[in-house]
Amino acid sequence: MDFDAIVVGSGISGGWVAKELCERGLRTLLIERGRHVNHRKDYLDFSPPWELPNRGLVPEDEIKEHYAIQSTSYAFNEGTKQFWVKDSEHPYSTPDGRTFNWLRGYHLGGRSLTWARQSYRYSDIDFSANKKDGHGVDWPIRYADISPWYDRVERFAGISGASEGLEQLPDGQFLQPMELNCAERAFKERLEKERPTRRVTIGRCANLSEPTEEHIKLGRGPCQLRSVCDRGCGYGAYFSTLSSTLPAAERTGNLTVITDTVVESLDYDHAKRRVSGVRVIDANTKLRRSFQARVVFVNGSTIPTAQILLASRSEYFPNGLANRSGAVGRYLMDHVQGVGAIGTMPGFLDRYYYGRRPTGIYIPRYANVTEDNSAQFVRGYGFQGKGERPSWDRGVDQVGVGAGLKQGLRDPGPWQMLLYGFTEMLPRADNRVTLHPTRTDKWGIPLVHIDCTHGENDLKLAAQAKQDAYDMLVAAGCENVRNLYPEISPPGSCVHEMGTARMGRDPETSVLNAHNQAHDVPNLFITDGSCMTSSGCANPSLTYMALSARAANHAADRLASGDL
Amino acid sequence: MSVVDQKLNRRAMLLGAVFLVGGAAALTRFTRTSSANPARGPAFSADQFALLEQVTEVIIPATDTPGAIGVGVPVFIRDLLMNWGSPQSRAEIASVLEAIEQRTWAKHGSRFLELPDSQRLDLMRSYDEDSIKSHDPAYRKFKHMVLLGYYHSEIGATQELRFELVPGAWRSCMPLNEVGRATAFWT
Repeated sequence: MDFDAIVVGSGISGGWVAKELCERGLRTLLIERGRHVNHRKDYLDFSPPWELPNRGLVPEDEIKEHYAIQSTSYAFNEGTKQFWVKDSEHPYSTPDGRTFNWLRGYHLGGRSLTWARQSYRYSDIDFSANKKDGHGVDWPIRYADISPWYDRVERFAGISGASEGLEQLPDGQFLQPMELNCAERAFKERLEKERPTRRVTIGRCANLSEPTEEHIKLGRGPCQLRSVCDRGCGYGAYFSTLSSTLPAAERTGNLTVITDTVVESLDYDHAKRRVSGVRVIDANTKLRRSFQARVVFVNGSTIPTAQILLASRSEYFPNGLANRSGAVGRYLMDHVQGVGAIGTMPGFLDRYYYGRRPTGIYIPRYANVTEDNSAQFVRGYGFQGKGERPSWDRGVDQVGVGAGLKQGLRDPGPWQMLLYGFTEMLPRADNRVTLHPTRTDKWGIPLVHIDCTHGENDLKLAAQAKQDAYDMLVAAGCENVRNLYPEISPPGSCVHEMGTARMGRDPETSVLNAHNQAHDVPNLFITDGSCMTSSGCANPSLTYMALSARAANHAADRLASGDL
Repeated sequence: MSVVDQKLNRRAMLLGAVFLVGGAAALTRFTRTSSANPARGPAFSADQFALLEQVTEVIIPATDTPGAIGVGVPVFIRDLLMNWGSPQSRAEIASVLEAIEQRTWAKHGSRFLELPDSQRLDLMRSYDEDSIKSHDPAYRKFKHMVLLGYYHSEIGATQELRFELVPGAWRSCMPLNEVGRATAFWT
């Protein structure tokens, strides 16, 4: 054996698995398909606007040629471009007339560098939802199974937030919360009075409001309130693979990292019921080789993980590795985006803020929790949002030129309140990733074909979230309230894709067991978004972290006891 | 040749030069000066660039802080159109300058550059108001470039407005007069 363990993918979940396995003394190989990124050195976080050649704008022709899909992300700009794939180099296929926005970056650390850092626990309302309403299969775990692992990953990652005592959004091990600004405080006070079933809290985020000794030992420092997180942070103030899990894994001496190495498929030895090899292609030379280890974790992210399993066909798994159930690639989910509202909060014109806070406000789910919407739909939605005073950019759409315009823009504009809905999506078998029958990428690997649509319940939730965003701003006293988007965004846009190798109790209908272990292949584990049995409505990364740490320690236990 | 004829001739020359910018084929006839992207010609003739300078300075004039020319907005827009802008964007910006020149001619019978300052301001006021009320996308793009070029320049961000590269603290609710002015980042 070359290694005790192989981890495929270095994003949020893969980084966590590598850290935990290395800390358990396992010689671990971490394989990343993209290029190496140097923490700090490769970031553009110290470039003020006037030092970026095009003041943050990516050339129009370059977007058209290379970034038509990636550029739909709010986080795509001149300072972050290096962390997004070129669509021209990494094509995928969708059915005619159906869009799926697959937003991603192929480099060490993956999307842990560009994530929005919002970190929420799922609750038993989420883990029991499928069983309760019959959509999807039952999760094989409950909150009590994952709760200690949430504790562990929150302490290590560093999550800033406020405790609220809510059943639907359990509290965690929080660093001190960042404060609401003046308008947000008024919004919270008025909304909670007008709508007592709803709550406004500060966004829980993976930014170090106050680093602990553990963080400082890893070279991480406190958040400097710059809000250029998605360029990478030289202070290591937000959680990423590069700032956190990778240095923790490296200091054990047990980690080997290889980059520019694309995993093509996994070999399966039926006599031993094990993954016997990881087949890779050098991204530059295109040379093929293979690695062996006692245990393999696939953390390629939801769509590539399904792609790897589907491409790993054998006599015993003709439809793809660990796919006896036929669930691999199916039940693809995202959160529905593209609903929101904005309004002007009157007053507070003599108040402002200093610093650029890297989080906003959060309104946890209330639909079918503290309010009964069961006649309309199942599940629910939450909201992110913020209060802010716009700066010079409002001058673009205002009438006025000359000294008057200049003088007027010296003051910040009136307070604006914004709300953005995040809607749960049900698992449906038709939402599916398959391998394209004929087209391949430049390494000869079949392209993925992504067929995903929003279902009836998803659309009902989104429509109600849109209405609620509007109503809540009005209820809180905002003026000139209007909805933000003419229509919802295509699936994928929320970059919360999940579900293509779901956990479950029954090997006939699910891929992974309660420890993220493939039902039929004991040395194969999957802890990225593909393991998700339902989507909840909160941002999922913290749950991937907790499941990753839990599964990695389970695997280490089994290796130690000789069961693997 | 009468004064009017001279003006007409100058106008024809000027408009001709402006129109050339919109045509990709014509671009190759311009002297190539861009080091960043030598495959593209300059976005503006000398006449157009002079017009661009004066129009941007009317939009953001020098007061107790420098104006658009003082912080290099015209150069920024020229470079942006060479390094960032698509042929369509270059044509749109050229069309804005052309429309301003045409309106000047229609109203005053002269070139924009020949107007006294007060008339330049009046003309841009009315052009700005009409363009914004009619949601003219080309003018919106132009005005955005002018404001971006100004407020995200070092002077615009740090002298005219406030900008801290490393704020180091979050003060969530404080008197505006202690900050003084709007911050340049609008995230």
